[in-house]
Amino acid sequence: MNERYRNRIELLQGTLDLLILQTLLWGPQHGFGISRAIRANSGDLLQVDAGSLYPALHRLEKQKWIAADWKISENKQEVKVYRLTAAGRKQLMKERSRWEQISDAISGVLNPGKKESAS
Amino acid sequence: MKLWWHRSKREKELEKEIQHHLQMAAKEREERGAAAPEAAAGARREFGNVGLVKEVTRDTWGWRWLENLYEDLRYGVRVLRQNPGFTAAAILAIALGVGINVGIFSVLNGLALRLLPVPRAEQLLSVDQVFHGDINRNVHGEQSMFSYSEYLDYRDHNHVFTGLAATEPFLEATLGGPQLHPLMGALTSCNYFDVLNERAAQGRTFVDTDCAASGQNNVVVISDELWRGTFATDPSLVGKQIILDQTPFTVIGVMPAGFTGTEPVASAFWAPVTMQKTLDAGRDRLGDSNMSWLAVLGRVRPGVTLEQVRADLSVIAARIDESHPGRQTTLAIARAAFFGRPEEHSFLIPAASIVLAAFGLVLLIACSNVSSLLLARASARHKEIALRQAMGASRWRLVRQLLTESVLLSALGGTLGSLFAFWSFAGVLQLVMSKLPKSFPTLALNVAPDFRVLGFALALTLMTGIVFGLVPALRTSSLDLNLALKGDGTRAVLGKRNGRFLRNAFVATQVAVCMILLLAAGLLLRGLYHAQTVNPGFEMKGLATTYFNLRGLNYDESSAAAFVGRLRQRVAALPGVTEVAQAECGPLSSDRSGDRFFVAGRSEPVDIEYNHVSPEYFSAVGIPVMRGRGFGPNDWKDGSAIIVTESTARRLWPGQEPLGKTLRSRMTGGLLGPEYAVVGVARDAQVSHLGESDTMYLYFPGGSPGDSLRSYVLVRFSGSYSDLAAGLRGIAQSLDAEVPVDVKKMEDNLEIWRAPSRIATALSAALAGLALLLALIGVYGMVSYSVSRSVREIGIRMALGANTSEVMRQVLQQAMRPVVIGGLIGVAGSAAVSWVLSSMLFGLSAHDPVAFLFVPIFLLIVAVLASYVPARRATRVDPVVALRCE
Repeated sequence: MNERYRNRIELLQGTLDLLILQTLLWGPQHGFGISRAIRANSGDLLQVDAGSLYPALHRLEKQKWIAADWKISENKQEVKVYRLTAAGRKQLMKERSRWEQISDAISGVLNPGKKESAS
Repeated sequence: MKLWWHRSKREKELEKEIQHHLQMAAKEREERGAAAPEAAAGARREFGNVGLVKEVTRDTWGWRWLENLYEDLRYGVRVLRQNPGFTAAAILAIALGVGINVGIFSVLNGLALRLLPVPRAEQLLSVDQVFHGDINRNVHGEQSMFSYSEYLDYRDHNHVFTGLAATEPFLEATLGGPQLHPLMGALTSCNYFDVLNERAAQGRTFVDTDCAASGQNNVVVISDELWRGTFATDPSLVGKQIILDQTPFTVIGVMPAGFTGTEPVASAFWAPVTMQKTLDAGRDRLGDSNMSWLAVLGRVRPGVTLEQVRADLSVIAARIDESHPGRQTTLAIARAAFFGRPEEHSFLIPAASIVLAAFGLVLLIACSNVSSLLLARASARHKEIALRQAMGASRWRLVRQLLTESVLLSALGGTLGSLFAFWSFAGVLQLVMSKLPKSFPTLALNVAPDFRVLGFALALTLMTGIVFGLVPALRTSSLDLNLALKGDGTRAVLGKRNGRFLRNAFVATQVAVCMILLLAAGLLLRGLYHAQTVNPGFEMKGLATTYFNLRGLNYDESSAAAFVGRLRQRVAALPGVTEVAQAECGPLSSDRSGDRFFVAGRSEPVDIEYNHVSPEYFSAVGIPVMRGRGFGPNDWKDGSAIIVTESTARRLWPGQEPLGKTLRSRMTGGLLGPEYAVVGVARDAQVSHLGESDTMYLYFPGGSPGDSLRSYVLVRFSGSYSDLAAGLRGIAQSLDAEVPVDVKKMEDNLEIWRAPSRIATALSAALAGLALLLALIGVYGMVSYSVSRSVREIGIRMALGANTSEVMRQVLQQAMRPVVIGGLIGVAGSAAVSWVLSSMLFGLSAHDPVAFLFVPIFLLIVAVLASYVPARRATRVDPVVALRCE
């Protein structure tokens, strides 16, 4: 059981961080909101399970890329809301460009003919 | 505290965060039209294992392992407190096992690992010579020691020591005064105390001028113990004269309490090395450049490495070798400690390994006992373990938890045992030493714990905890959840066959180890009995011995010969005395002489022990001369006649007529000495080593005046020993009241031989007793456990008509299988290693059939008894109750 979760976290680690940072670019959000946003924006393709999401949030918080505030929700509940920090914004840019490089590189490998004809 | 508060706050926050997530998810489902309870359940299902999510999230916080450890410890303490009986038994077993091991290690540490008890001892190096090739060396002490000229060479030409000191340890001298008093002291170079960094408590230590001329400086430094004891803390002793070996010495200093020299045997006085000829009259070691007699210690210059020392000194060694063609010298350089000489190491290391192995075996039994206890308890804990696993604990996490518990157990037991060892072992050692005969010197051992002992205790404790905990932990954590939660714990935890196999393996180990220790004790005991009843090859009953050492008593060769001659004459006239003889070495005494001899037709010299004996020796001691003749009264003048023992003749000249054969002794410088011719062959006798009659041995004719300075007078008598002893003492007193008389029955000499083996026997019997007790508990525990586990099975069997004796037989049969297998392994193991004891068996075979028959039978009976008690419970099973209860 445990093994399964840990494997998944490893698999998603780099990309999940990117997705979370990107989601928070649109404004502060709580954990559940982040998971729903990722699901919605991916057209229901990406399901982030809680066992990956919360460790990632806490790790990003520790790295000071995101910060957390406690707010009171409409039904008088304390809610932990995450927001992007300045360092997080920088990190997001870095990770985005890295992701784009990787994605270009992978599609280059997958479609060698296309690249040649484009050039 | 702050950290803890911080953590519990984060813990609450995480809880809130997750609850919020679940609520939102449920709300989402409700909005889509699900009913409230279904929505909540769905949200939970989607979320997954809440406990696990929390755990992996907490993992990102860092310091996780510390928190885990704290939790495990807290949990472990709780579990241990819930089972006080189990906990106490386990802690006691471990305390016992670890305690005796830490104790024996602290003794070994005091013997050979501790640095010398002087300031900044880590700078002190001991230097020893190891000779190779053509060695022809006079030895007084150990061969690795130095001659005086060699010492001076190293002292004056090295570049690595701030000072290099030499000492002749174990010098016996007689302290004069109203009562003669034998002392153990040392001769030292005059920089000895400066090199050691030791100052006198009163007066001064030596200065260079004290060693300026040979035999001129009668000064002495004495120990605090001698000052307090013999001189009753005389405050004006410094400056006064005391008499050592009939020579006045001026006391120049008293050392502080606790300084006993640089050898394990405490020194009472120190005299300049240049006084050697005065304190050992008639022998000149100072002038003999080929004599090994000085131990050498140096204080290394700051910043100089061991390699540099080795390189620097080996230049000197090579230069000295030039004057000894065919000989190469290498140097053994080590941090100075007791028993540091190569010869001593070669004895101490095997002895220490045997002792440590024996003690380690007891710890092994204790460990496997605790292991099987843990294993048995594991089946009682299967539901708890299953629950923890279902809640998301990983197997590694469970193993860690279980290991924490076992290490906690071993830490408690180890601490208890170590504390007990620290507290008691000095006393135990005292007790053991007080059981040694008086002729054994007392050792100045420091068994107090130091960092080495503490490190050993810690390492042993941790290792113990892991060793006995690992197997049960791995077993326990690999259970089948379904089976465990359903309730049939036994099968779930251990997969029945496997579990029984492990428990049986533990019992077999215990029995095997116990068998080895019991057999060792049995063999030693038999050896001791053998030593009491052995026929030494000579007539021990009705023989009295007395030793005269006239050397320190104002005697010269001719007056000594006159004294002993008159004494022998008058003793021979005592009623009941049939023979009086004189010998250099008394039978089975601690005196022994030996040399290398050349035999015609052999290129290699042979080592042969010898004795100088008067003509009456053979009839007095009761050794018949089988061929040729005995000694005549004038044989000593010519000195060429020798008598060899039968086995010596057989080994030197197999199948030939030994009479008339010749030997040559080897003289200093490789020259051949005088030739000796065999005139007689005496029967083999164990006069040198008890239990060994086939050592190479020969007799020289005694009688020259020099022989009487130190000699044994042997008296064969019929009638009462006490009358004889009184008569002998009276005669000696009337001849010279100053001479101390020490009359002994021959049988008393056996005591010197038996004392070490008696101690070894007592020690191994105590160890074997502990091992037996632990193994007994192990067998008992195993049988009662398996009986309690198979109550239902037994019940069914009895319901089907089996009678009690059949059930009993079956239970016993099952219980005895691992016992017999373990026992056989133990017997085989003992047979393979029992030769290490042969030096203490006095000629008894190391595979003595009596010991190898009775010890296993004894152990088997004990094991049957240990199984019988719990097995009887099996026969009392009421089938109705048994079938209903599980």
